Amino acid sequence: MNSGDPPSVLVIGIGNPDRGDDGVGPAVVGRLRNRVPTGVSVLERGGDALALLDNWEGFSTVILVDAVAPISEPGRVHRLDLAQNPLPLNFAPCSTHAFGLAETVELARSLRKLPSSLGAYLVEGEQFETGAQLSPAIGKAVDEVAERILAEIAALLEARRDHA
Amino acid sequence: MANRTIRVDYIARVEGESSLELHVRNGTVDAVQLSIFEPPRFFEALLRGRGFGEVLDIVARICGICPIAYQMSGVHAIEDALGITVDAPIRALRRLFYCGEWIQSHSLHIVMLHAPDFLGYPDAIAMARDHGEAVERALALKKTGNELIRLLGGREIHPINARIGGFYRVPSRAELAPVAEALKHARGQAIDTLRWAAGFPFPEFMRDYKFVALRHPDEYPMNEGRIVSSAGLDIAVADYETEFIERQVPHSTALHSVMKRQGAYLVGPMARYALNRDHLPVDIRALADEVGLEPVCRNPFRSILVRTLEVVYACDEALRLIAAYEPPARPFVSPEPHAGVGYACSEAPRGILYHRYNLDRDGTILDARLVPPTSQNQGVIEEDVREVANAALDLADDALQARCEQSIRNHDPCISCAAHFLKLQVHRT
Repeated sequence: MNSGDPPSVLVIGIGNPDRGDDGVGPAVVGRLRNRVPTGVSVLERGGDALALLDNWEGFSTVILVDAVAPISEPGRVHRLDLAQNPLPLNFAPCSTHAFGLAETVELARSLRKLPSSLGAYLVEGEQFETGAQLSPAIGKAVDEVAERILAEIAALLEARRDHA
Repeated sequence: MANRTIRVDYIARVEGESSLELHVRNGTVDAVQLSIFEPPRFFEALLRGRGFGEVLDIVARICGICPIAYQMSGVHAIEDALGITVDAPIRALRRLFYCGEWIQSHSLHIVMLHAPDFLGYPDAIAMARDHGEAVERALALKKTGNELIRLLGGREIHPINARIGGFYRVPSRAELAPVAEALKHARGQAIDTLRWAAGFPFPEFMRDYKFVALRHPDEYPMNEGRIVSSAGLDIAVADYETEFIERQVPHSTALHSVMKRQGAYLVGPMARYALNRDHLPVDIRALADEVGLEPVCRNPFRSILVRTLEVVYACDEALRLIAAYEPPARPFVSPEPHAGVGYACSEAPRGILYHRYNLDRDGTILDARLVPPTSQNQGVIEEDVREVANAALDLADDALQARCEQSIRNHDPCISCAAHFLKLQVHRT
């Protein structure tokens, strides 16, 4: 990207739609696909989190959506600033295979490959059964997260216009 | 200090869940137990009663790192049972597919999992602050391997395009061209990684391993060959179960494999290289000489060099296969079901992977036998830890623990495959 280009925005929904509430990320992306302003990209990702390093290359603002294990109540939405802070331990996924989201974000920080703005919406899931649908509480959170992301993007674009 | 116990409750930077317990009595290690507590997954039983055409999709799910190995051992064993011979371009595409897996699996292990041990970092994230270039090379290599897998397998993880008799869809030459460009860069990145790793401090340590690998008359082994050992074994794959047995051990959910007459043995890059170095191209052997890699490497800490040399080779071989590729007239040979038993062994990144299937007349799986490399290496890993620990008992517990964990990672164990992970406990009493 040339320095004269407007900084670009990418929303990445992480998860597996066939594993119950793990599908919240892709569900939010599905809700945003036809509603985001021009110049904003959306992407679904499953599997190897290391691929995120390539996915967000060239984007100055990246917003992640992912499911997390239950902490307090199913469907509760946490908004974290990963460009400033590491993923807290109680959100860190436990994966014995390959690299998870927390490791990938920290690896990117070590390599200075983090987008200048990296937000994450993390939704507490209830069940992650194979073949299951989203739980009702998580279904509601999909709407909430989609609306918050649209508002965040609108505010960002307005701030940029004012700045320009 | 005479008696002590070191326990690692959860061994990091290996695939899967396991622990290690070391008992030191009167200044000698008297027990080492690598305990795999990942639950068994019963894939062999799960295959029973399924159609032969479902095997590749089921076995691809055994491992997220080496699904192609499972698919290739599976496809060759079923084709052996059904008497299918595939066309030469299909054979070449399968070898190309395997190159992709070697590149991505090895690169991840070499830099992200193993290198931090030598350079004194807790993990790749901390190492990346000082060795960013090396980490970026590994990520690029892994990406190129994944690209090859995606092109031939339909997707990177648990691919879906391989089938009995060939592939559902084969790539065009034009589709392979961009991967060839990436592989040319990857080859250089692999050579840089080899020279980087050659500068690591390697502990002085040698073991007299019994190496077991495939041996093919013309090729460095991947998809096929006879099973040979450094002790003179030379058998057809179908005779595997007459020479090798799996035993249950109380401390692990994984079975331990041994040679009936010769006990514990080693599979994987060190074994492949020791038994097949003559099949490596001259320039790859010259690279081995340049970095001081001996023709038979018996220091497991130096396995990282062998693994990296294999990445260079896999890039080379993939480039050769792409250059020679002509799409086949048909993407697959249609299989006709009939009763039979089929056997196959292929060289997964971590070593030989044996499959046997017994098919009913309509092609239903009556029984299946899958022996992954890590269950074959478990005995050797325990022996390595015992000897490494005995040679390093003057170290404090935390340093001893680190050395033991490193010696486990020397063999890139994939516990998920074998449980059929790692905690280390050292008991000094």
